Amino acid sequence: MTVSALDAALPQRRAGPWTIVRLGLRELRNGFDGFRIFIACLALGVMVIAAVGALADALRAGLVTQGEVILGGDVMFARAHVRATPAEREVFERLGQVSETATLRTMARRVDGSDQALAELKGADSAYPLAGEVTLKSSGSFAQAIAGDGAVADAMLLERLGLKVGDKMRIGETEVTVGGILDSEPDAVADRMTYGPRIFVSLATLEKTGLDKPGTLIRWRYVVDLPDTAASSKQALADLRAQVARELPDGGFSSGDRFDPSPQITRVLERLRQFLILIGLASLLVGGVGIANAVSTFIDKRMKVIATLRSVGASGSQIMGIFLVQLAVMTAIGIAIGLALGVAAPSLIDALYGDLLPVRVDIEVSPQSLGIAALYGALISLLFALWPLGRAENVKASVLFRDSVNSPGGRPRPMLIGIMAALAALLVGVAVATSEPRSIALWVIAGLVVMLAVFGWLGGYLSRLAGRLPRPKRPGLALALRNIASPDGLTRSVLLSLGTGLSLLVAVGLANSSLVADLQERLPEEAPDYFLLDIPPADFDGLKDRMLQHVPGASLVEAPMLRGRIVALKGKPVEEMTFTPDTQWVMNSDRGLTYSETVPEGSTVSAGTWWAKDYNGPPLVSFEGEIAKKLGLGLGDSLTVNVLGRNIEAKVASLRDVKWESIALNFIMVFSPNTLKAAPHNLLATVRLPPGRASGAESEMVRDLGRVYPSVSAIRVRDAIDQFSKIFAKVMVAVQVAGSVTLTAGALVLAGALVTAQRRRILEAVILKTIGARRRQILEVHAWEYALLALIAALVAIVLGSAVAWVAVTRVMELEYVFSLRSVGFSLGVAAAMIAVFGGCGTWAILRARPAPYLRSE
Amino acid sequence: MSDPIIKLDNVHLSLTSRAGSVHILRGVSLAIPRGQTAAIVGPSGSGKTSLLMTMAGLERATSGEIVVSGRRIGPLSEDELAALRGAEMGIVFQSFHLVPTMTALENVALPMELAGDDRAFETARGLLDEVGLAARVDHFPAELSGGEQQRVALARALCRSPEIIFADEPTGNLDGRTGRQIIDLLFGLRQRRKATLVIVTHDDKLAAMADRVIRMADGSIVSDESTAAVLQAVSS
Repeated sequence: MTVSALDAALPQRRAGPWTIVRLGLRELRNGFDGFRIFIACLALGVMVIAAVGALADALRAGLVTQGEVILGGDVMFARAHVRATPAEREVFERLGQVSETATLRTMARRVDGSDQALAELKGADSAYPLAGEVTLKSSGSFAQAIAGDGAVADAMLLERLGLKVGDKMRIGETEVTVGGILDSEPDAVADRMTYGPRIFVSLATLEKTGLDKPGTLIRWRYVVDLPDTAASSKQALADLRAQVARELPDGGFSSGDRFDPSPQITRVLERLRQFLILIGLASLLVGGVGIANAVSTFIDKRMKVIATLRSVGASGSQIMGIFLVQLAVMTAIGIAIGLALGVAAPSLIDALYGDLLPVRVDIEVSPQSLGIAALYGALISLLFALWPLGRAENVKASVLFRDSVNSPGGRPRPMLIGIMAALAALLVGVAVATSEPRSIALWVIAGLVVMLAVFGWLGGYLSRLAGRLPRPKRPGLALALRNIASPDGLTRSVLLSLGTGLSLLVAVGLANSSLVADLQERLPEEAPDYFLLDIPPADFDGLKDRMLQHVPGASLVEAPMLRGRIVALKGKPVEEMTFTPDTQWVMNSDRGLTYSETVPEGSTVSAGTWWAKDYNGPPLVSFEGEIAKKLGLGLGDSLTVNVLGRNIEAKVASLRDVKWESIALNFIMVFSPNTLKAAPHNLLATVRLPPGRASGAESEMVRDLGRVYPSVSAIRVRDAIDQFSKIFAKVMVAVQVAGSVTLTAGALVLAGALVTAQRRRILEAVILKTIGARRRQILEVHAWEYALLALIAALVAIVLGSAVAWVAVTRVMELEYVFSLRSVGFSLGVAAAMIAVFGGCGTWAILRARPAPYLRSE
Repeated sequence: MSDPIIKLDNVHLSLTSRAGSVHILRGVSLAIPRGQTAAIVGPSGSGKTSLLMTMAGLERATSGEIVVSGRRIGPLSEDELAALRGAEMGIVFQSFHLVPTMTALENVALPMELAGDDRAFETARGLLDEVGLAARVDHFPAELSGGEQQRVALARALCRSPEIIFADEPTGNLDGRTGRQIIDLLFGLRQRRKATLVIVTHDDKLAAMADRVIRMADGSIVSDESTAAVLQAVSS
């Protein structure tokens, strides 16, 4: 035999891809054995993401289809302070039928002045509402109820003031008769977020109140019903709005249309969608551990088959291909189940909590939402399955000859590791690209990866440590430590699944308690006691004196207050510019403006210089630094605002850091006094009352001010904080429910790991029984093992969760971090409960197992 | 003697376990000519199966050279070895090792499908007919008796007309009568194909059917004689 003959070419012909697909599908005859947890983990995460997307779609669709009713018509134009002039009104009327309303905040009082309450007054013309209807809880129609001096009021307000239909109440300088009790208002959502209960009156009655004075914070709103609503496309309405803006260049009207009737709600929905998708992604990542475990177990079970394939000539890539086909099918099933459940979510949520939603949902799911959920599912499945799958290539045919079969070790080949890295990069890329601000997605993913890495490492370390510890005298504990030390034991799975889920729970719990502490303790201490709105400048001194008579030592800080809309930046109309979601809100509507000789309290100048006290040059403005940065606005740039129907161009003279959380008189824009001083305006003031004031003095002061200064509205800050706290508590419950999805994913992973280990554990228990161990002794082994693992997972979760909460509270929310033993205790309780339920079920089955069948089958 | 189809030169095999390294084959040198039937015998743990696995490229020798069908198998990658096995070797196991999710027909067709053979199922059907299982082609392994499963395994081993058949105690899991039927079938099929057969067995009667008997003890060949010579020695 010659040397050249020794290395003759090997046969090159190989099966095509379809043959591999066929072989893979043939292997699926094995059924779902071992893939149930895989499918459940995947379906759960996909379901959350799909449900979030579907709900957002449904709400968005609801906003569009009910847009006309929510907006009150097809197109809307609004402006603060100044009513539309006849010429401006004519421009609107040329488009179609117009309805005019005016909204302002005021105090409603009992006629005898004995009590008063803050209210949102809305004056409506006879055409209102152009779309939808105002319904009453009382008898009669809305039009009849507000006719003459009639008013329709919220039931809560009437209850607060002890009034009923037919009674009179005082608003400003006039008395109105309660003609009806409000049930629903069609355009309540679009007509900005209302603060107090609503009172409807006619525009004629509004005029009689005397509240509509120059400088009053009143919002005039003009809704147009186009003659051919159906024919007006989104673009047509946008063009119409642009046309009006061109016709009324100095009008300063903000506008909207029925396709996005409430940009505020759209923005909140978008934020909520992004946040909940990150929660879904977190549960998918935790579920990824279950996916990896399931594939690893599956490959272990199929080792003999893989070796057989090897022995009959299959190459590594052919084996990989065959199992990849199965994985793809299981992934498709998991994703399909997740999508189906996710799509059903809006109907379920609508049925259960429809009343709490801002708009009625319309079941319309976009392919994009489903696509993103499916893409995340596929990426996570591949990412976590490729490593154990890649090791299948390392299985040697020689395992067919050996009795003991160990898991295939080693790393997958470099190309597969490269593919996994690319998948991870794609996953992070998609998450970051679809989030706003992007850094949040990046932080969330980085945090989750760190958590998975920490618990993965800890699992391995604990296993090794338990193996090195001296054998305890107590047999139950000794056997438990041996179980923890076992390389194919539960240590790593329990720590990963329980630890990651608990860490998130601790983080959410601690962030919540810090926020609650801030709302309930710090804010009431630091915040002023009252905000006074719409104080005519001429009345300020008198009002101050009167207040001090009632409550000596009270302090008032006042600031001029106007509302205006930014119409151009650096000379370019804002309509022609695009903004990111976190700056769009500044442009959507009018903003509060003020002027000041000195830097306002709670602000510091971060760039530029403040104007001199007697500055009398061209208009200057000081802008809030962070928003200016996002808008690309720098020192010396020009800014045009429309105030009272007049465009004012000012140069940015300085940028300020504003301490928003101080609840002081903070404004995004502060102008040099000469810019706005001449414009009619009122004052806004904060009131701080001295501690230890006489009881009753405060309420008497408010009643007296109401009587003497009927146009001034007083907002009690404590009430506002309480109201916010209630809303916040509901939001936090929703966040915790969403966060618990991650814990559910952890529970699935834990269940999967226990199921995988169950047969081996039963066999161990059976052997222990045959050599004389009693049930109590076997139970003791399991109890020690589970208790130790749960305790360690919970302790590390408390440390990691606290760290995450600390970063979120002190760096993102910029609040004081408060450690809550209650939150931590709750997490420990959840850990104990989860391990008791899952471990307990497993141990119960183990204790009940009859030895004979297991011994025979071995 | 014609060119050997299998040639081993000073082959050593050590395997590492938790308890340490175990020296399994200790300097085995051997040449098996094309078309010969060779039985490897010896007590348990003597290294018979390891020798067979090393020749089939299922286990990599720690040192020494192995040449099979004119190729040095030492430098070949796992995939190249798999391709070589698929094309030129047929392996029969004691535990059959059929893929449980595939029917008898699919199990036999599998090596041909992996090699991209369009006539895989046609050939497989013919082979199952040859081993007497024409009526059982659509049965899954769990629906077949041990003897029938081993017939399927035989058909699978022969489907690509290999030059070498390796059999590791093919009757070890079968009763005596079924075992004899399988052996008759194996030798008959080999005879028709003029293939080389290397068989590991504990069964002296089976070993006696081979041209040659290689006796192993403690990882080394302790005797290597033609069956005629063995029989002669026994009779004298």
